[in-house]
Order: sequence, then structure tokens, then C-alpha cells
Amino acid sequence: MLDDQAIKALLLRTAARDDGAADAFRRLYELCAPLLLGVAQRIVVRRELAEEVLHDAFAKIWRSVDTFDPLANQPVAWMAAIVRNRAIDVRTTHDVARVDSYHAMLDDDPDGSLDRLFDWSPAADDDEDRRRAAQWLRDCLSRLAAPERQSLVLAYEHGLSHSELASHLKKPLGTVKSWVRRGMSSLRLCVESCMSGQAR
Amino acid sequence: MRLAGSPLLDALCGEYLVGTLRGAARRRFERARREEPLVAQRLDYWESVIAPRYTKMIEVQPSAAVWSRLERELSLSRYRAPWHQRLGFWRGWAVAATAALALAVGVDLARHEPPPVQIAQLTGKGELPVVTAHLSKDGRTLELHASRPVIAGPAQSYELWLLTPDGKVLSVAVLGSLDARFEVPESQRPRLREGGRLAVSVEPPGGSPTGRATGPVILVGPITI
Repeated sequence: MLDDQAIKALLLRTAARDDGAADAFRRLYELCAPLLLGVAQRIVVRRELAEEVLHDAFAKIWRSVDTFDPLANQPVAWMAAIVRNRAIDVRTTHDVARVDSYHAMLDDDPDGSLDRLFDWSPAADDDEDRRRAAQWLRDCLSRLAAPERQSLVLAYEHGLSHSELASHLKKPLGTVKSWVRRGMSSLRLCVESCMSGQAR
Repeated sequence: MRLAGSPLLDALCGEYLVGTLRGAARRRFERARREEPLVAQRLDYWESVIAPRYTKMIEVQPSAAVWSRLERELSLSRYRAPWHQRLGFWRGWAVAATAALALAVGVDLARHEPPPVQIAQLTGKGELPVVTAHLSKDGRTLELHASRPVIAGPAQSYELWLLTPDGKVLSVAVLGSLDARFEVPESQRPRLREGGRLAVSVEPPGGSPTGRATGPVILVGPITI
């Protein structure tokens, strides 16, 4: 797992735009690029597109690093959101779902996928809240109805749109739309109620 | 249309976060996020509630071309101290040449060589990171890895010293960061295998002008081969 405090220090040094900025940015790239390329490749599938996404995302990180909130606790999540957004844009302009091997690559085991993709164990530098938040999120995901969970994992991990979800899961568009919407809403409410201590 | 007061705001945040909000709707939401602080705030909140962390298992090594293109397009060299400032005039050339050589051969070494062996763990007081030193199998390349990144300030550099068992103090490298990879000077390669200690001191830019540590020794650890 990447060290959030170290990544944050590198982002702030990059934002300073001083003599050390380029070296800090390079180190940031060395530490985070492999993980972020993995995130991109799951969404755009093709390696050359994924590297294009990685390039664009790091160019954006360099340019908008001054908007990174130094109080935010999750610098890697901040960068991953930039990568995912760019990957989703690229995915919509290239018809990725047409690639022959595409459906075979999608995971039909969302529960296995959740534990392969994400690390739910607390990081060494986590405070008590973050420690519990990861566990709550994992618990709340397992409480969702299976089709909701599968839709969310496919959409989040592989960037599937509503219509791609419908065709992959062989369900009507309206059905998958409500799975996604209801799934996200239940997930948030569940984590919130854990946070306020009502659910335990 | 303002989104901030919309009853759909939460649903849109959720769809945006999971990635199913697409096309014009996605662009509208992104505009609202930039223009309406309440929308940005609500999305931040969602991101703090639903923030899974990826595992290292998904890592894929990018090709070197991605970084070279970034470095070129973003003109990163402008944000790096010129070499003569960083390394000092009196010994700059020699160190720069060594660094360039290490960089030039580094890529190949990384690809074809067996993994380097840890030879020392350097520790210091308080907040200082733990630095591990790894030596390549052929004894030519030393790598330092810090438990968190530490970069020398503009008015200083770090210097790595070899303290031999018979009491000699030899400069191994001048460093801008506690994460580094460099070629070990040829005369010191056999000595590294004789044990002794490695130490890091804080020096003026370019390293100690006297050939001995002039600043505080911040990290030290025994060589165990």
C-alpha cells in the first residue's frame, strides 16, 4: 500500500514549483504510476490507451496540483479520481466494449474482485476513523443485494456505462440503472449510519 | 440550472463517483462542480465516505516513454536546480559524470541484473526515515531507499560515507535525496564488502568541501554482508 503521508509531501513539494518540484514530481510518478496504470487499464483495456490516460492524468496532476487540499487524507484517491475520469472519457471515445476478449475479461465474481482490487486492511498510518471507515465500507458492500454489488463493481472497476452493464448482465436498461442508483444510495446511507454509531 | 439545491444532487454524486454518469450529463455535473461550491463539497463528502484503496496487485509498469514525454511536454527541467548549483563547482563535474553514468547504465542494470542485496539499514533520531542500502550482485551499484521521501533543501545536500573497520572515512556519494541509485567508486567496491558502517551527513550543496563530514551525521548503520 502506498504511504499517504509520503505521497502528500511529494504533492505539496510539486505544488511549490521550486527547484525541487521536478524531482518530487518524478518520485511521485515512480511511486504511483504503476498503480494508476493498473486502474486505467481496467477501464480502457488496451495498453496503449491506458498509457495515454496515464500521461494525460499526470499532466493534469502537474497542472492542477495547487488545487490538492493539504488537509485531505487521501492523496492517492485524489490522483486515482483524475485517472478514472480521464479513462472514462477515453473509453467513451473508443469503443472498448467491441474488443473481442472484452467480456471474457470482465469479472463475474464481484466478491472476489472486491478483495483482489481493494485493500481493506488499515494502513499503518491510519487514524482510528479511517481504520473503521474501510471496514464499514467493506461490510456495507457485502450487505447490498448481489446484483447491485455486481453492477457497482463492474461500473467502478471497468468503467461500464448503464447500457454496457445492461448488455453484459443481459437485463433491461431500466433495471440496471436502478441497481446502480439504489446500490450507491444504500452504500452511502449504510456507511453513514455506521459512522453515527447507529448500526452497531 | 443550479444543481446545489436539486433533490437529485446525491444521486448524481453517486453516479459520477461510480462512473455511470456519461456524456452531456457528466460534463454538466463537472461544470456544476467547478462553479457551485455546494456541489463540490457534496462530492467531496461522497468521496470521503466511499473511498476504497487499491491493492498493489493491480500495478502495471508503464513504459519509459510515458515519463520522457511528460518531462518534455511539461518542461520539467525548469523546476530543477542547475547541476552546478546542486553539486558545487569544485567536484561537480566528477559527481555529475558518475550520476550520468549511473543513470545511463541504470536502465539496463535494472532489466538484466539479479535483484540487489540489502547490506545495511541506516537509522537516525526522531522523525528521520529508515534508509536501507542495497548493493547489486556485482558490487557496482548501490541503491538507497528511504521509508518516506526526503529531499535535500536548496542550500544543502546529503553525503553518504563509508566508515571502514580500520577507521577510515570515505565519501561514497553526494545525494539530493535519500532515495538514490548510483555507481560505487571503483576503489571502494572491495571495501564495502569488508564491513564497517555507512553514514549520512548533511553538507553544503555539492558535498563536504573538506573530504570529511562537516555537518551533522543524521543516519548510521552497520554493513552486514
